Amino acid sequence: MRTAELEYLPLLERRGDDCVARVSTLLPALGVQPVAVRVDEFIGQVKRLAAHLPEAGYTINLCDNRYLFTLGFCAALVRGQTNLLPQNRAPATQALLREQYPDSYVLHDGLDNLIAPCPAFNLNQIDLRGEPECDVPQIPASQLAAIAFTSGSTGQPKGNPKPWHTFVTSSRMNAQEMLGSDYRDTLRFALATVPAQHMWGLETSLLLPLFARLCISDQRPLFPMDVANALQQLPAPRLLISTPVHLRALVSSGVDMPEAAQLLCATAPLSTELARATEDCFGGDLIEVYGCSEVGSMARRRTAQGDVWQLFEGLEFAEELTVIRGSHLPQQQPVQDRIETRDGRAFRLLGRGDDMIEIAGKRGSVQEMNKLLLATPGVVDGVVFMPEPGQQAITRPVALVVGKDITKQQLSARFAEHLDPVFMPRPLLLVDALPREDNGKLPRTKLLAFYQQLRS
Amino acid sequence: MSAQTAAQLEMAELLVEALNLEDIAASEIAPDESLFGDGLGLDSIDALEIALAISQKYGVQMQADDERTRKAFATLASLTEFVQNNNGK
Repeated sequence: MRTAELEYLPLLERRGDDCVARVSTLLPALGVQPVAVRVDEFIGQVKRLAAHLPEAGYTINLCDNRYLFTLGFCAALVRGQTNLLPQNRAPATQALLREQYPDSYVLHDGLDNLIAPCPAFNLNQIDLRGEPECDVPQIPASQLAAIAFTSGSTGQPKGNPKPWHTFVTSSRMNAQEMLGSDYRDTLRFALATVPAQHMWGLETSLLLPLFARLCISDQRPLFPMDVANALQQLPAPRLLISTPVHLRALVSSGVDMPEAAQLLCATAPLSTELARATEDCFGGDLIEVYGCSEVGSMARRRTAQGDVWQLFEGLEFAEELTVIRGSHLPQQQPVQDRIETRDGRAFRLLGRGDDMIEIAGKRGSVQEMNKLLLATPGVVDGVVFMPEPGQQAITRPVALVVGKDITKQQLSARFAEHLDPVFMPRPLLLVDALPREDNGKLPRTKLLAFYQQLRS
Repeated sequence: MSAQTAAQLEMAELLVEALNLEDIAASEIAPDESLFGDGLGLDSIDALEIALAISQKYGVQMQADDERTRKAFATLASLTEFVQNNNGK
């Protein structure tokens, strides 16, 4: 369907009396009691909030609570504003966004590190109670709904523009591919361990409930006991939206998990063993999803049963397999991984290019980190590289540095200034020399052997 | 810097092991230094790793919605004390 040519698209496609969210946090905006929110109540709140929002082109949406974030996101849409979705809430990030988008304000729910001076709107200091509304707001299809920022490992974050028609089409596609053909019929109760700000959480915990019969919890539990308790509060059939890091902690914690009929996992590759253990632990089917911030979710597989991905209907690879196309995407997008496919629909991933790494859903370049290291005063020689995966949930880059009059603390401070915390080299070791060959090359096998030797 | 107790050293060894902090000796982690933020600079994935290692070694489950857990993650000393107080084994 060519939705881009239609002028308006609905904010949501749900029945007014259906349940869209369960709020278990005390939110002043909704009154004092934790509540289950119906679609018509949600629409009423969105419209009232939209009328209260400051006049601006952009909303820097930093709400922590998932429900308030959703309300803010939708109210901004109704007001014709664009949601700016940064990777984090750090003051430096806020300042950079304000500089790039002066016609903006910060929408938050009690942030204590707001930058000043900056117009801000606190969603916990407003009363949104009132009459339910059945009339679904219509949004211009071409309106820029959001700019989702992905962090480079160094330097400037990159913005990915998302027109509303892209989200509408991809959400219908995601509903069909992730939940199945009964997505408009069966009411599911969902819990997510990921924030709504980043693409995976945005697509699943914010957008999916607008276009499928999904009731999402506002909670974002971290520890296994928290996840078990939050799941227990939801009626069946339950859906858990998570990541490999969280699933690994849940499965190996020894905490008894309530049944979840279905689980969705993305942001990093999931092993077959963990997929099987997760299905055993929750007694449901685990669908792993492959995607990237530029495109969103692209393919799925039942990882416990096989390693072949199935591309979502509506997307296709270009002839040379390095780019992906969809009629709803603003432009065709390069694929980060090397792809192997026979029919263009079912495919295997052959791994990333050597340079790009992904940690906790954030993408970085090892090459850029090396440039940063070597440009540091006092660094004679050095290398940042990814070691072989160990016992830890995530593998972090390692830095080996030959320095002159520079301490480990100074090096750490230099990295901290330029890198997202997840990319901080760990460990960072000072060495006398690197095992370079006569021609100056540093083969990976030699490097790994040298590192192994340092650790023993 | 105050000296570590035997229990704190054991916890410090668990942190180094669980978080791959091999450039730091367990005995170097000061009992009252912040684990997160400016101190050791740990993040929420590390918190999850620590909670997992603690549940496996001591049978103590952490809960984020519990105010005591938030306080426990402040320093090596508070984490050690929390586990000692909740260790049912």
